[in-house]
Amino acid sequence: MEEHVTPRYRVAVDEDACGNAIDCLLCVKTCLDHGPNVLGYMNKEAPDLDKFIPRRLEDIDHKIISGFMINCDGCGECVAVCPKSALTLVVPEPQVHRALIPRDGSIVLCGTLADGTEIFPD
Amino acid sequence: MCRYCTEYGNGTKWYLNPDNYRPELFQAPGHNTAYDMLSGVYKNSFEVGATADSEDTLPDYNFGGAFNIALEKITQHQGQVLPLEDALRVIDMTPGDRFLLMHCACRRHFGHKDVFSCLFFDPVVDRALEQRPWETDSRVITREEAKEFEKEMDRLGLVHSLWDSGVDSDGKPPIVMCHCLETDCMPTRIRAHFGIVNAQRKGEYVSVVDRKKCAEGCTKMPLCLPRCPFGALRYSPLDMIASVNISRCFGCGLCRTVCPTGAVRLVDRTTYPALVDEW
Repeated sequence: MEEHVTPRYRVAVDEDACGNAIDCLLCVKTCLDHGPNVLGYMNKEAPDLDKFIPRRLEDIDHKIISGFMINCDGCGECVAVCPKSALTLVVPEPQVHRALIPRDGSIVLCGTLADGTEIFPD
Repeated sequence: MCRYCTEYGNGTKWYLNPDNYRPELFQAPGHNTAYDMLSGVYKNSFEVGATADSEDTLPDYNFGGAFNIALEKITQHQGQVLPLEDALRVIDMTPGDRFLLMHCACRRHFGHKDVFSCLFFDPVVDRALEQRPWETDSRVITREEAKEFEKEMDRLGLVHSLWDSGVDSDGKPPIVMCHCLETDCMPTRIRAHFGIVNAQRKGEYVSVVDRKKCAEGCTKMPLCLPRCPFGALRYSPLDMIASVNISRCFGCGLCRTVCPTGAVRLVDRTTYPALVDEW
């Protein structure tokens, strides 16, 4: 019996390679244009005003974060667009079954016939 | 009424109860967490950080319950949708004359347009200015300008939602009026994608469409449908009228303002038995 598991993607960010995310934000814009809008940016730490008073948003050290990852389709455009190769698309284990239709000898999904023919329109 | 009005309404809606606007309430230490997170230096850490990797931290898809408790008990940050009339009443009831227009943090930090859509009330204005010195183009406006701003948001099609700082036993003081949409704002997205009720509660009203008046209005291009940010309006090509799915309606009232025949009105949410526990 075979099982099909809908993947749950994660975007891992190498913060050192990324630097201050607010200087770039290409991945955030790419994700927004692609649709899911799961990438955002936030301060690495809330500013400590006793030590340093940031006068512009760019003065605060930002990092890329991912939220609402149930909407990520794993397209990988964010990874491709990153000029610093700071992003990695990962499929963590264990996966949770989201679309599991076990049948002997075949995987049957809404878009796949029993003989394996894909019937998704291009 | 939902528990907010039961516990903090004193016979009316919680945001129309003057007890929740007492000046000493805004100074009470119990509400400080929400001030910092909504208007202060932790705003970004909280608003965007709340969803960052949340599914890794809480890998079960049914983490709505845990999230709900976190929002209410730890962050003391809840909001509710309200129509323009109530928004103007709230502006009138707020102590002090200054209002602070600030950038919408949610929209900016997920790559959307940088817009001024957050209206902080007088008791938190000084604190917000002091704790967020990088927001150099925030504007302090008067009560009349604040009302005009609310009307402008209504014209644009942005929902009014009122955010308070906590459900301590002493009260529930509102501190900011935001104009959130599901397409780009954190609370509405959290509510819509994960069903987390405390992120943003439905309003005290629902829309009702008068079928006869609607039939006399725009039969081909219903103007109200694109005004609904919650997908609660439907159009029947057979009857050529719009109707409301009351279980989706948040009672923001935006659909009313564009109806050429005045066919849409708001009624109290508790009119319908189906909605008694639907907030």
